[in-house]
Amino acid sequence: MTSIDVQDLTKEYGSTRAVDGLTFRVLPGRVTGFLGPNGAGKSTTMRLVLGLDRPTAGSATLGGRAYPELREPLRHVGALLDAHAAHGSRTARDHLRVLATSNRIPDGRVDEVLEETGLASVARRRVRTYSLGMRQRLGIAAALLGDPGVVMLDEPSNGLDPEGIVWIRQLLRRLAGEGRTVLVSSHLMNETASFADHLVVLGRGRLLADTPMRDFIHARVQPSVRIRTSDPAALRSALARHGHDAVEHPDGHWTVHHARVDDIGRIASAAGVPVLELAAEEGTLEQAYFDLTSAEAEFTTQPQEA
Amino acid sequence: MELTPVLRSEWLKIRTLRSLPGALLALFAATTAFSAIAGVSETSDPGFDPLFTALSGVVPGQIAAVSFGAMAVSSEFQSGALRLSLAAVPRRGRWFAAKAAVIAVPALLVGLVTALAALLVARAGLGPAADGLGAGEQVRGVVGCGVYLMLMALFAAGLAALLRSGVATLSLLIPFILVVSFVIGDATGTVADFLPDKAGQLVLRETYDGTLGPWSGLAVTALWAAAALLAGAWSLRRRDA
Repeated sequence: MTSIDVQDLTKEYGSTRAVDGLTFRVLPGRVTGFLGPNGAGKSTTMRLVLGLDRPTAGSATLGGRAYPELREPLRHVGALLDAHAAHGSRTARDHLRVLATSNRIPDGRVDEVLEETGLASVARRRVRTYSLGMRQRLGIAAALLGDPGVVMLDEPSNGLDPEGIVWIRQLLRRLAGEGRTVLVSSHLMNETASFADHLVVLGRGRLLADTPMRDFIHARVQPSVRIRTSDPAALRSALARHGHDAVEHPDGHWTVHHARVDDIGRIASAAGVPVLELAAEEGTLEQAYFDLTSAEAEFTTQPQEA
Repeated sequence: MELTPVLRSEWLKIRTLRSLPGALLALFAATTAFSAIAGVSETSDPGFDPLFTALSGVVPGQIAAVSFGAMAVSSEFQSGALRLSLAAVPRRGRWFAAKAAVIAVPALLVGLVTALAALLVARAGLGPAADGLGAGEQVRGVVGCGVYLMLMALFAAGLAALLRSGVATLSLLIPFILVVSFVIGDATGTVADFLPDKAGQLVLRETYDGTLGPWSGLAVTALWAAAALLAGAWSLRRRDA
């Protein structure tokens, strides 16, 4: 299968560097979340991969080939960049037929992707009557049209209703499960955490992280343990004996920071502390992300050369 | 990539936007209507040219041809549509050539039908005043008129690709067409003779004077259209989508 290879990629618009010496690979068979604040260079990177913008330096290739060299590119790469790209006066079906025809994809496939994205019943309506969520679905339908090995979606959850959010999550997992290369940008952390296996994080056009999502969270957020007992005094002394620090909350439960649930369970059991509730509190992607970006912010508030 | 699927896709784009076939219909309706009106007007003017009178509906009618060319291109410059098109067809030169072809062919065909209808309708009104017209002149007028309308549509298409806007293109071209025709009027022997519409309209006249003839005048319009298309293609290839 095809991977996306970004090598020393730089893009300048006038004097601003939108993308600054990026190097990373997006591998098949997993969902790669593409994170970063607005203006970090995510969309620019996607446009560079698609050959829509020309890089100032460096290269972006798909399985070793530059995008413009692909014959019938929609059969290799499907992309959603902007849900508003479809002309409002065309019907959804005609919009997809136009794209399909240019890459010799049969019209039958148009009906398949309309069915798959839940638009079959509104396929003959003009796109201008569509809600943002329906336009997103149409954009995703266009990306899936050529049954491509590489799928790149820029903020696909925008405007989707709760059912749509669940649907896109399952779709992304399925595409990766089929061995495709899936790159999905987002600025919604909880949403990304629900589907990504791997993360590429950008800040100000530079690569901040390229790591499996679990490692990213574990390296940055210490897990904690939630525990509730009928004998707080015994719990506190048992924990203190093992060097753990516990914080009591007004509703009666305790949080033990920097601890693993297995250890705390054993300690409580050995000390004979009655446990009413015991749970691991995993670090969230959001916490890890803010830990990373606050470190980055400190780093970048130093005066820079203009 | 092969050219045929790209041509088919671009042709489907034209057909599936209601405003584009609408513009061609407007070209036919406006041209024949104005020619019909011209056919029943005064014919005793010493500068009376029966062929130009019969085809004079083209002067206002060409605005529809220009709009057709400009809108066919400018629809690509709305909210990211171009990115989608170029992601499907990354060879930009080939893509723009296909775009120009699907503008040129319908404009030419509708232009020929329109010119023939305008001539017939106007002759019905002109009656004996147009009897002096030879068959050759009338064929030249109709064919030339179709080619002229196609060239004006392509000229507008090239400008729209260069300016990346249909509104900018039309607000440049429409006043230009109207000003040149009505303010400069019949003044000949100036540089105005080489403007795209003035030069190309010589093919619609039975008699003409000055440096340009009917076909050389049309060639001047073709040069303008080619220049606009090349400038549009250059801009498209050079700029980020």
